Amino acid sequence: MRPLLALLLAAALPGPAGAVELSYPEELVATARAEGVARDRQWLRLGHWRERAVGGWESEADGPAFFLSPRGKTDPEAELAATLRGLFAPEPEDPERQHPQCQFPARFAFLARRLGIDAAKLPVRRCEKLEKFWARTEARGVTLVFSSYFLDNPASAFGHTFLRLDKGGERGSGERAELLDQGVNYAATADSGNAILYAVKGLTGLFKGEFTALPYFYKVREYADYESRDIWEYDLALRPDEVAMLVAHVWELGSTWFDYYYLSENCSYHILGVLEAASPRLELLSRLGPVVLPAETVQALYDNPGLVSRARFRPSVRSQFARRAAALDPASLDAVDAVAAEPARPLPPDLSPTAQAAVLDAALDLFDVRNARALVDGKAGVAEARQGLLARRSAVPVQSAPLEVPPPPQGGPERGHGSARLGLGTGASSDGGPYLSLSYRAALHDLLDPPAGFSPGSQLEFLVTRLRWETRRERLRLEDFSLVEVVSTNPVDRFDRRASWHMRAGAATLRDGGCRGCLAGIFELGGGPALVAAGGAVTAQVAADSELAASPELQGAFGSGLRLGVGPTATLRLMGGARLSTQASAGLRFLPFARSNLGYALGAESRLHLGPVSLALAWRKTPLAYEGELSAMFFR
Amino acid sequence: MRKTMVALTILAMAGSASANGIKGNGPYGTAGCGLGSMAFGNQKGAVQILAATTNGLFGTQTFGITSGTSNCGESAVGLSGTKTFIEANRDALAKDMSRGSGETISALSRLAGCADAKAVGAKLQQRFQAVFPEQSLSDEAVSSNVISTLKAEKALSCNELG
Repeated sequence: MRPLLALLLAAALPGPAGAVELSYPEELVATARAEGVARDRQWLRLGHWRERAVGGWESEADGPAFFLSPRGKTDPEAELAATLRGLFAPEPEDPERQHPQCQFPARFAFLARRLGIDAAKLPVRRCEKLEKFWARTEARGVTLVFSSYFLDNPASAFGHTFLRLDKGGERGSGERAELLDQGVNYAATADSGNAILYAVKGLTGLFKGEFTALPYFYKVREYADYESRDIWEYDLALRPDEVAMLVAHVWELGSTWFDYYYLSENCSYHILGVLEAASPRLELLSRLGPVVLPAETVQALYDNPGLVSRARFRPSVRSQFARRAAALDPASLDAVDAVAAEPARPLPPDLSPTAQAAVLDAALDLFDVRNARALVDGKAGVAEARQGLLARRSAVPVQSAPLEVPPPPQGGPERGHGSARLGLGTGASSDGGPYLSLSYRAALHDLLDPPAGFSPGSQLEFLVTRLRWETRRERLRLEDFSLVEVVSTNPVDRFDRRASWHMRAGAATLRDGGCRGCLAGIFELGGGPALVAAGGAVTAQVAADSELAASPELQGAFGSGLRLGVGPTATLRLMGGARLSTQASAGLRFLPFARSNLGYALGAESRLHLGPVSLALAWRKTPLAYEGELSAMFFR
Repeated sequence: MRKTMVALTILAMAGSASANGIKGNGPYGTAGCGLGSMAFGNQKGAVQILAATTNGLFGTQTFGITSGTSNCGESAVGLSGTKTFIEANRDALAKDMSRGSGETISALSRLAGCADAKAVGAKLQQRFQAVFPEQSLSDEAVSSNVISTLKAEKALSCNELG
């Protein structure tokens, strides 16, 4: 591979040899000032300067070493002058410090090209570490990687994105050896083991976010194997010079940090910032809202036509298992079940070696899905059982054919609806009469939203507000508010018996024997088995639910304002392709020690999806009221 | 106001996040270049890569880009790169070996400079019991078994192994 600096500067350093003038750097500084180079968008992006609301500039980079000028963080012009002078500086005395040419190869390349720096007047430094990094990446292409939603871990619920620097070579079997590519990850360096501190620090920018490089196989082991998250890979159509710029800029960022904000300046935000800095023709960050979700950054790629050259699906071990199981007959599935539970169990005697291999391959994946956590924890006997199963498989002299797993029908995150949702509607209630409704959701997806691009059966909602204007009484009500609501539906089948679960924290207006129309804080938690049939078109679920309500106006347990409710809920959901979603539910609540000790809720809702708009028709019944509502929902 | 609500939400969500460092003394938790060597903070033996902390907020990769300090950060072709790869991908490689094919076999063949991944897969499948005689084998022993198997079989011509 050509050295990175030589490659970056190839087109940039024209001039013939001339006399070295001491004032040459100052000449360049003056030219840059005259030409307003500090306002060039690539310069601003390389320094991560953003325009401040109060005027002026401020860089998002927070490590002081990222700036050569003491005013660099807020002054792109001063930093440009300092960088130009730095490029001409002598070798630093401290051998631990890099020469500015080596520390800022992307800035160097940009300035050399933009100002036509004369090579003869600039002694080019040897940058050993930088060139080693470049040689290690062997980058010939760049891929943005999205690891899908993982509701079982709140920190990963929205997914995660990072970059992969593709070696892109083909050799041997002809398969791309992507596992060996270098990944570039941006993550908070958490320095606290306390969950509350994590949360507070994550929100308020008290963690340092840093760019790190690591082989892609670590990420694949982590996401696809251990957490069983499907991965989407988006190859980007970048030119070779843009790829080199990107690696050079990643190198620059390696020596600094950013204050990490979980909701805005997070992993996904800064990954796009790197792409933009390397390739000024791209518009990525401007496509994002104030809260940045990983899926939206994938959509931002697609907003730049032609940028994504290819999207690929990398199945998790769970998806691999599902694919293998789908190819087996019932008798073989029985054998898979038996062997995964007890690796020494004999296989049916009449199986051919190929059939034996297929059964054992599926059993191996099933074993890993079921025991991922136990293997990591080193639970006694689990690794030994796996070893037995592996040895058994190896004794069948059949080489498995590569497993082709087609992407799921709902597609990748680029197909998903916008995560913010605005609803306008009108309805009538037996309690309050006719009303107008207004609702807003900050993120992300509920089970009746358009299904494309989201994991079926997973709901994650964040900051949902429903307001109601009762036209007859001229009264505004906060009908319902969710801080967070999660529904994780795990269809029960012979191989997967995990329960589905549901959690919500927020507030709701109650209309039952405890109070008529009071607003109460609500916490709900429940779960139970779910069955899915007809290729995902029908979901039926029963759950044991609990709910805690609190309000000063509520006549709750022992006459207090607190009330616990427990009881069953049954839900039926029908998906009519990508256009129509319908759900009906019925729940009964026993309210121990409350004056009115029985409550219930019935509901049905149907939504028709018409591109960026969905029309919703809903009906609800509680002990003291029933109501119907028609609304339109807009996604952004 | 919005910030407050957001903070509350995260607090609510963070309830279960304290399981951030999954302590591992299982197959991942050994020393060397296995997954366990990427320590999670100062919790020795905790499995950094498997920390339930993957959305960036809790991510804790310890490689510096400029420092290049990690013992596992390099996936260079050749003997040391091959060793690193085998140790870090031990469990996935074991599975692919037993099947005689798979992505880790392809990557391994490439690192070791072998001529044909399919032949490598067949050979490693055949020699599975010799490479993994028992589960308790250290990562280093596994990698040295794999490498000596590849070297011994001249027909595979894994010419990056020296």
